[in-house]
Amino acid sequence: MPIASSLLKKPRLVEKLRKFYDYVQKNDGKVGTKTRGIDLNFNNACNLRCKYCFTNSPKGDHAKDYLDLGAIRKLADEADELGYFEFDLQGGELLLQPDKLFSVLEAIKPERFYLYLTTNGFYLDKKMAKKLANYKVSRVSVSIDSMDEKIHDEIRGRKESWRRAIEGLKHVKDEGMDPYLNITVGHYNANTDHFKQLLDYSKDNNYKTLLNVAVPSGMWQKMTEIICDDKDREYLRKIRKEYKNLVRNIWNPFDRNHEKILGCTTVNRLYVTPLGDVLVCPYVHIKIGNIFESSLKEIVDYGFKIKYFRNHSDLCLAGEDKEFIKKFMTKSGQSIFKPALAKDIFSKEDFVK
Amino acid sequence: MTNLEKYKKIFIDTFNIDESKLDSLEYNTITEWDSIGHMTLIAALEEQFKITMETDDVIDLSSFKKGKQILKEKYKLEI
Repeated sequence: MPIASSLLKKPRLVEKLRKFYDYVQKNDGKVGTKTRGIDLNFNNACNLRCKYCFTNSPKGDHAKDYLDLGAIRKLADEADELGYFEFDLQGGELLLQPDKLFSVLEAIKPERFYLYLTTNGFYLDKKMAKKLANYKVSRVSVSIDSMDEKIHDEIRGRKESWRRAIEGLKHVKDEGMDPYLNITVGHYNANTDHFKQLLDYSKDNNYKTLLNVAVPSGMWQKMTEIICDDKDREYLRKIRKEYKNLVRNIWNPFDRNHEKILGCTTVNRLYVTPLGDVLVCPYVHIKIGNIFESSLKEIVDYGFKIKYFRNHSDLCLAGEDKEFIKKFMTKSGQSIFKPALAKDIFSKEDFVK
Repeated sequence: MTNLEKYKKIFIDTFNIDESKLDSLEYNTITEWDSIGHMTLIAALEEQFKITMETDDVIDLSSFKKGKQILKEKYKLEI
């Protein structure tokens, strides 16, 4: 086990995680308004052309914009102060520019966070995995679309994607970081053999499986047919019991019976774009502030004034709540770089006093 | 139930693991004992034995064996 990346070598993280646990227990197992994580996309350039990308990377959207290191350092300091314990770096593709990534890691100071990367795994070789572990990265999530190499590569738009991603996960495990196999699940693949093969592979290899529900945003905007229905949700509840390595951000991770719902984590998990815009989550492209204009605390307080994000929801607003999607996620051209503004999209009644 | 039995049961229930594997069990050697699993374990120990563990002890509890030692020496439990 590489010691540097372990929770047991991160006392500040332990403190914050305990506070989060205590809050959730006292709040009937629900996330409420407790701060949890920052999802940071500091640059949107990518080497693949995934059909469902929610950041429009395949279109080259803002590929040359970088969030500067000073701003990232300040963001991380403020997030730590506010009790955020997870830091998820996403892209784009992070490993496309490793020097930039390692500078960002130094700015964030991963010893304070459960810091992880979400990557397509194309450049995740043994040497890279070792270096990430040395930089105190706790987890690496690699997205896999199918156990059929051809299908995965076709969705990703590049040959060798599947093989490299699968190899990458092995390297993550070998270096003692937490290997997460990310699967996107929607109406099109829930309860299929195809989906089950992915679950079994992850379980058999002692990985965790992160389920992201398919969301009609980015390249899939307005494709409401992908949304999980009641039957699909019932199936997800069933497999949660069967596969103990399954994780969904909306599920209570501390529940030993694998039943409780933590609640939709909009604002609890913020998304920061290369322009410094703060969105309520990676998939709901609604802006509640910008880190160059306001402190993180001001942005979070403002976000939690909006009833939809303050109140508990058993459903993922972006991927399951059809009413919310219809009302707030279908504005033409709405993307991470052209988000709807909270002050415009919500009415006075949508805010708590 | 003795304290040792209670201690073992917490590990078995939290990590869904067979009793025969407990003696060699260490943090991060099974999928269930990750950072989230660790906090669940600590909370269960605190609730069962009516203690509040210090952060240093939460960090030091890196194996089934080490946990027994901490509870015995720091929290004066007969285990």
